[in-house]
Amino acid sequence: MNIPLLPPDRRREFDAELRRRAIRGGIVALAFFVLVTIFSGIAFSLIATIAVVLALYVVPWDLIRYGRFIVPAVTILLVSLYPYFRDSMFEIPLFGPFPTVDTAVTMTIFIMMAIGLNIVVGYAGLLDLGYVAFYAMGAYTAAWFASPHFGQAVTFHLGSTGVNPEAAGFHVSIWIVIFLAAIFTGIVGVIIGLPTLRLRGDYLAIVTLGFGEIMPQIARNGDNLFNTGFNLTNGAQGINPIDPPGFGKTISDFTGLPEDYLTFNADFLGKEIGGIEVFYWTAVALLLFTVFCSVRLRDSRLGRAWIAIREDETAAAAMGVPLMRTKTWAYAAGAFFGGIAGAYYASFKSGTFPDDFFFNISVFILCMVILGGMGNIWGVIVGGGFLAYLNQEGLGNIGAEINQTFGTNIDVPLYQFGIFGIILVLVMLFKPEGLIPSARRKMEFEEGVSDEPLYDVQK
Amino acid sequence: MTETVAERTQSGSGERKKILELEDVHTYYGSIQALKGVSLEVYEGEVVTLIGANGAGKSTTLRSINGLNHPREGRIRFQGRDITQEAPHDVVKMGISQSPEGRRLFPRMSVMENLEMGAFQRDDRAGIKESLDRVFELFPRLQERRNQRAGTMSGGEQQMCAMGRALMAQPKLLLLDEPSMGLAPIFVERIFEIVREINKQGTPILLVEQNALMALDVASRGYVMETGVIALADEASALAKNEQVRKTYLGVTD
Repeated sequence: MNIPLLPPDRRREFDAELRRRAIRGGIVALAFFVLVTIFSGIAFSLIATIAVVLALYVVPWDLIRYGRFIVPAVTILLVSLYPYFRDSMFEIPLFGPFPTVDTAVTMTIFIMMAIGLNIVVGYAGLLDLGYVAFYAMGAYTAAWFASPHFGQAVTFHLGSTGVNPEAAGFHVSIWIVIFLAAIFTGIVGVIIGLPTLRLRGDYLAIVTLGFGEIMPQIARNGDNLFNTGFNLTNGAQGINPIDPPGFGKTISDFTGLPEDYLTFNADFLGKEIGGIEVFYWTAVALLLFTVFCSVRLRDSRLGRAWIAIREDETAAAAMGVPLMRTKTWAYAAGAFFGGIAGAYYASFKSGTFPDDFFFNISVFILCMVILGGMGNIWGVIVGGGFLAYLNQEGLGNIGAEINQTFGTNIDVPLYQFGIFGIILVLVMLFKPEGLIPSARRKMEFEEGVSDEPLYDVQK
Repeated sequence: MTETVAERTQSGSGERKKILELEDVHTYYGSIQALKGVSLEVYEGEVVTLIGANGAGKSTTLRSINGLNHPREGRIRFQGRDITQEAPHDVVKMGISQSPEGRRLFPRMSVMENLEMGAFQRDDRAGIKESLDRVFELFPRLQERRNQRAGTMSGGEQQMCAMGRALMAQPKLLLLDEPSMGLAPIFVERIFEIVREINKQGTPILLVEQNALMALDVASRGYVMETGVIALADEASALAKNEQVRKTYLGVTD
């Protein structure tokens, strides 16, 4: 067999790696196949899935010229086509059917947040327990600029969709709102970062925790700001409805893009496509943007500075890395993507409520990063997708399955944080570097990092 | 005393320009005073050594210079500019780079990545490439190992990498903190040869050492530190002959 894309010196390495992975992947695939067949019966989709995953995993694509694009390209293709083949997928034992497209939207948004947090925690090594603040900031930005909330004061329309063109309040196109939310949240990131990033380790974690607690309190009590009667957040009721995304009539007529996601309906590639599919594809597009930026940042000069700070802050400072600026950039970048995710999620759910932004969400997103493998994008995607899925429908399915089998009546989703806790403890015990760690992170877990306190470095 | 020595050495070394000057520097770690009024100078083109026992304040002096610990009192001037309160990254940018105590490499970065970190403040690609060639010329070993993780190299190689990394900043003044620490004797000699070579190429060096014998051999002038103050300052050759220095730091008992 002659693969022309393979440089000759890589040949041996390629063969060895292929053999190693074939054995490992084969065993896992066989076990999975037997398990699923026993419980759910044999299905074409099962064989197809195993074949695709094996092809992606077993061949060491990285060693082939241009091969490193194969896995991402195929993954993007499959993810984009998900609404088409979701209904014909096999049932996974215990977990039940594959996630609905609705759940997939939420999963995608949470993965986006996890990737944002990964910049702060995974790249720069700053433990942030208040990431929910950025999510809240994004969501409320969407609520302010795309809802009737400020209706008593203003009527302003800019590319609004899905609402009466005369409706009171700010009604700005969601695309502009997402952009605004990202910028606003990035600025909030800098504002929170400037006083807190002087601290390190546990102290930083505690202060970020504080900011994470302040945000939902402001949201909850912001309906009468400083007793001036100014209603910023509408208090505990939250703000709704938020306008749906859409491209408006003009663009829609020209390009065929949906005018308004909620009412959208069309035939596309032999399937009837509704709003939820469009929501899904938009989320995937935003996620791709996030991943792209994240990878570019990681490989940039700034990214190298983050790694240097994580490895040895003192040495980094002595090499001329401006500590405050570099860390603040990490915060701002993380916040930026949290803002995008928050704004889009608010638009998807058509509302935002202070109860969505409590501490548990910060921990939840942090769990995604840790579970998947800090610093590794694939890891964070897997971790984020899995936990968001469990939270949305996985635990419900598992509960139903258990109750049906044993005739019990346990409300499994009620114990979600206990279950997430157990998962996290198990990961920490058996694979502390995460499911798919980055090579560097793995080494750090094995060897430890230098974290000698550094006095007086402030600028 | 320092005054007179400074004058003497200045006249001794002709009309050379003062590149670094510390003037009555007091530095604290929290409430603990580590430097109690340190004054010293480095002139263009020379190697100056700072010797003394553990805890005398040698490393703190360097940390004061490069901005990791700002002095509470006193002045530090570099090429005539006051840098007392400058942040570390600005100090690096101005042209002072350091090979820190204990080397402090980024252990999980490759040798090449470590060297690139040394040039973090520079953006002239051609110049960086030139510096890299120069470093590889000084340390051929680093070129052989450029893809190896820095943390897996031997102590001597790591020291070379740390010095190479400092040189990548194209410094106008190089601070070396205990380059011989924990190295095999053969490496110690090699390191001091390289120190001499770097200086010969025109970079002034402030060398902190416990190995006083070697340090005084390469340096033109020396300062002896004791518990946060400069106890002695003189030509290196004179210090090497000084009775007290010989007894305390060179281990000569006769």
